[in-house]
Amino acid sequence: MLNKIQNLNYLLIFLVILISFIGAAGLYSAAGGSYSPWASRHLIRLTFFIFLAVILALINIKFIYQFAYIFFILSLLLLLSVELIGVFGKGATRWINILGFSIQPSELIKITIILALARFYHDLKFDQIKRIKNLFFPILILFLPFILVVIQPDLGTALSIAMLGILILFASGIRIWKFVLGFFVLILSIPLSLNYLQPYQKDRIFSFLNPEADALGRGYQLIQSKIALGSGGLTGKGFLEGSQSYLQYLPEKQTDFIFTLIGEEFGFIGTMFIIILFLLLISVCFYISIKSNHIFGRILSIGVGSNLFIYVIMNISMVSGLMPVVGIPLPLVSYGGSAMLAIIISLGLVLNAELNGNLKKLHNA
Amino acid sequence: MFYSDEKKQYSVLNRRTFLLYLLKVSFFSIVGWRLYNIQIKDSQKYKTLSKNNQIDVEIIYPLRGKIYDTNKIVLASNIKVFDVYIIPENTKNINKSLNELNQIIKIDFSDRLKIIELSKKVKKFEKIKVLENINWSQLEKIESNKLNIEGIFISQDYMRTYQFDNTVSHLIGYTNKPNQEEVELPFISNMPNLEIGKDGIEKSFNPYLIGKSGQREIEVNSFGRVIREISRKDSQKGDDIQVTIDLRIQQYALNLLKEHKAGSAVLMDIKSGNILCMASTPSYNPNKIIQKPNKKYWDSVLENELSPLTYRCIQGLYAPGSTFKMVVAIAGIVHGVIDTNTKHFCNGKISLGERLYHCWKSNGHGSMNVSNAIKESCDVFFYEISKKIGIDKIAKVAEDFGLGKIYDVPLPNQKKGIIPSRDWKKKKYNESWYPGETLISAIGQGFVLTNPLQLAVMTSIIASNGKNIQPNIIKQNKEIEFEKLEKYENAIKIIKNSMFKVVNESKGTAYNSRSELAPFAGKTGTSQVRRITVAERESDDFRKKEVEWKKRDHALFVGYMPVQKPRYAVSVVIEHGGSGASTAAPIAKEIFQFTKNLET
Repeated sequence: MLNKIQNLNYLLIFLVILISFIGAAGLYSAAGGSYSPWASRHLIRLTFFIFLAVILALINIKFIYQFAYIFFILSLLLLLSVELIGVFGKGATRWINILGFSIQPSELIKITIILALARFYHDLKFDQIKRIKNLFFPILILFLPFILVVIQPDLGTALSIAMLGILILFASGIRIWKFVLGFFVLILSIPLSLNYLQPYQKDRIFSFLNPEADALGRGYQLIQSKIALGSGGLTGKGFLEGSQSYLQYLPEKQTDFIFTLIGEEFGFIGTMFIIILFLLLISVCFYISIKSNHIFGRILSIGVGSNLFIYVIMNISMVSGLMPVVGIPLPLVSYGGSAMLAIIISLGLVLNAELNGNLKKLHNA
Repeated sequence: MFYSDEKKQYSVLNRRTFLLYLLKVSFFSIVGWRLYNIQIKDSQKYKTLSKNNQIDVEIIYPLRGKIYDTNKIVLASNIKVFDVYIIPENTKNINKSLNELNQIIKIDFSDRLKIIELSKKVKKFEKIKVLENINWSQLEKIESNKLNIEGIFISQDYMRTYQFDNTVSHLIGYTNKPNQEEVELPFISNMPNLEIGKDGIEKSFNPYLIGKSGQREIEVNSFGRVIREISRKDSQKGDDIQVTIDLRIQQYALNLLKEHKAGSAVLMDIKSGNILCMASTPSYNPNKIIQKPNKKYWDSVLENELSPLTYRCIQGLYAPGSTFKMVVAIAGIVHGVIDTNTKHFCNGKISLGERLYHCWKSNGHGSMNVSNAIKESCDVFFYEISKKIGIDKIAKVAEDFGLGKIYDVPLPNQKKGIIPSRDWKKKKYNESWYPGETLISAIGQGFVLTNPLQLAVMTSIIASNGKNIQPNIIKQNKEIEFEKLEKYENAIKIIKNSMFKVVNESKGTAYNSRSELAPFAGKTGTSQVRRITVAERESDDFRKKEVEWKKRDHALFVGYMPVQKPRYAVSVVIEHGGSGASTAAPIAKEIFQFTKNLET
C-alpha cells in the first residue's frame, strides 16, 4: 500500500495541480480579484477530487476491470434518468443531484465508455478485431450515450463522445478503411442531422461561419473572446488587468471562456504555457499507456488522454474561432464541478493503470 | 501462436498510439498557430477593438450665457428644470410605479402604455423619460413620495427662459435645436443637441453665449452601463451679454404701442448711439416657443396676419412721409437752393406736366418759408424746392443722415429700405427718372422706404448737429465720439428750430402733444398706403371718414429731447394709425416724459 503511494506518478499529479491553480488564478481574476465565488470553491474541489483520485489509484484494478460494464450501465441509467426528468419535469436539463453534488451524467459517461471499451478490447482476441460483428458492441457503447446526449440537446458533449469513440477505436487497431467508410457515412448524414438541430444550435453554426455579420447576437461571444485574446498580445495586460472580462464583454468568462481571460491577462506566453502543460499531461497518459502490459491499461490510458485532448482542443478551438461555440469547458481551469471531477477521476484511473501495469491477468478466474 | 499474436497486437497498438500522439501534437500545433495569429500577428487590431469597447466620450454641454439690460436686469437666463425618469431595473412592477406617479401628476394612459412598451425593449438600467420640465411644486410632491414609488429618477436640466415674456422678444430672440444646416456651424459642431439662438441677439451672439463644451471619458461595459469616469473636462459657461436696452422704457413703450394693432418705437441715446428702447408690436412670447409642445403656439404665431415674428423696428419698411422733409430742406440749404427767407406760395396743389400734386391741406398754406413749411408740413413748398435740388442730391443727403443703409449692429435681418436716385431707378427698373417722382420723393412717398431705426438715427444726427451717429445695441464701457459732418451744421440749426416749432408753437402739427415736463422737438409724418383717387379728394372729408383699418395711413413721428443739448431721439411708427400728429406724436411725448422722469 505504502509502496503504491510511493510509486504514484507525481508528475501527473503535479501537472493537474498546476493547471488547476492557473485555473484558480483565472477565476480569482474573473471575480474581479476575489476568491469568492469561484476560485475558493475551485480549489476546495481540487483537493477533494485529488484525494478521490488517489484512492481510486490504490484500489485493485481487477475490481475496476470487473465492474467496467456495470459502471457503464449505471452511468447510462443516470443519463437516461436526466432525460426522463427532462421530459416529465420542467424542460431540458443536463444535471442530476447526487449527495449534494450537481453532476452532469454526460461527463461521467465518457469515463465509463473508456472503461467499457478498454474491457471489451482487453477481452477480445486480436484476430477477432477485424471481424465486422465485433464492431457492433463498441458502436452500441458509443451510440446509446451519444443519442441520449444529442436529444438533451448538448451538441458539444455529443460531438466529444463521438470523437472519443473514434480515437479509442483507432487506437485499439480497427482497420483504417472502416474509418474512411465511417467518415463518408458521417458526411452524408450531416444534412439529415441538421434537421434535428435546435434553432439555437443552427444559429451557432452559422454565426461561426460569419461572426462579424451578427456582432451583437450569436457572433458576439466569438468576437469578444477574440478581442480578449488578441488584446493580450505577447505578455498580456497583467494579472487582474484584463478589461474585457472585467467589463463583462466576455460571456461565461468563468466557465467556457476562462481561457480567453487568461490569454488577455497573460498573453501568448500564458496561453502557450497552458497548452504545453496539457500536452505534457496527455504525454504522461500516453507514456503510461505504452508502458502498460495489458490492453485494458493501455486503452484506458489512451482513452483518458484522448478525452482530455478532446476537451482542450474543442475548448481552445471554440474560443479562438476555429470551431463553433458548442459549450465545452477547459478541464481543470474552467469553473464547474462535473468536468473537473470527471477529468481528475479518470486520471486517477490512469494512475491506477500505471501502478498495475505489470499485471498479466485481470480475470479472477 | 498466441504469443506472436500478442506481440503483433502490441506492435499494432504501439504504432496506433504513436500515430494518435502525432495527431494530437499536430492539433495542438494548429491551435498554437491560431493563437499566435490572434495574439501576436493581429494583436494591434484587437487592442484597438478592445479600447473602443470600453471608452465612451460623453459631451458636457455648457451653460448658455445670460443676457442683461443696461441696468443689469436679467432678460434671458437658464432655469433648472426637472425631468422624471423611470429605471426599469429599480422597480419590481413598472406599471405600479407609473400608477403611483399618475396619482401625483397626471400622465396620459397612452403615454403610460408607451413607457411600459419601451421598458421591454431597452436595457433594464436605461432610464426612460416619463415627464419633462416639471415645476417646483410638482417636484416637491414627487420628492415627498419618492421613497414610496420604486424606480423613479429625477434629473436636473437647464432650460432657457425669458423673464419678460414678449417685452424684448424680437431683440433677444429665442433658442431652439439647430436645424440641419446649423448643425454644421463651427461653434456647435460637437454638440448636436445644443440649443442655439435662432433670432435676435441670441442668434448674433451664438459664439459668445454658447461657451465651450466639456467632455468626460467614461468606461462602459458590454451593456453600456457606466462603470467609472476616467477623465473629466468641465464645460465653460458662455459669456454674458449686456444690451443697451433699458427694460423700463421698453416695457413702457410697448404698453403704449399695445393700444394699436401694429407699430414700433425706437429711442436712442444721442451721445453714445445706444438704443434704449426698440419695441415692436405685436410680439411673441419666446417662452412659449421653447416649452414643448409648442406646435399650437407656433401655428397661432405663423397664422397671425400681423406677423408677430417681424421686428418692425428693423424689418418694417415704411414710406417716411413728412419726416423725410428735414432731409430735403437740409439738401436745399446746403446746395443753396433756399435760405431762411426763400418763400413759396401754397394754394393746395401744383402741377407738373399733366399731373396735379396736392398738398395735404387742400385749400393751401399760403406763403411759406422753410421754417413754416416744416412746422405746418406744407407739401407744396417741398415740391417746389425739390424740383430745383434734384433727386440725386436729396439721396446723397438722405444717406449721410443714415437712411437707406444697414447698420453694423448685431441684429439679424435688418431691412435696408430704399433711397431712390436716378442710378437706383436705372439699375432697378432700367427706366429713367421722371421729374414728378422727385416731387413725390420730397414728401417721403413714392419709392422712399425706411425702417424706424433709420428714422431714429436720422433724428439723432439732426439733434446732434450732424454727428455721424451709429446705433449701438451692446453695452460698451468706452466712450464713443462720433465724427461731425461740418457741412450740415448750419442747415441743421435752421431745421432744428423748425422742428421745435412743430411741437411748441400753435399751428405746429404736433402742437397738441407739447410737453411742459419734457419739452421736445420733432416732426410728424403721415404716409399714404394707397393712392387717393380724385373723387375721394373732392369729397373733402376723406381724411375724417372712418376708413377700413388696412387702408388708413401710417402715423409717424420723429423727435428729440431736450430741445437744448438734445440727449434722446425717438421714432414712432403706428401702422395705419391715421395721422402722425394724432397717433404717433402723443406716444413720443409719453416716452420722452417717462425717460425724463427716469433721469431724476
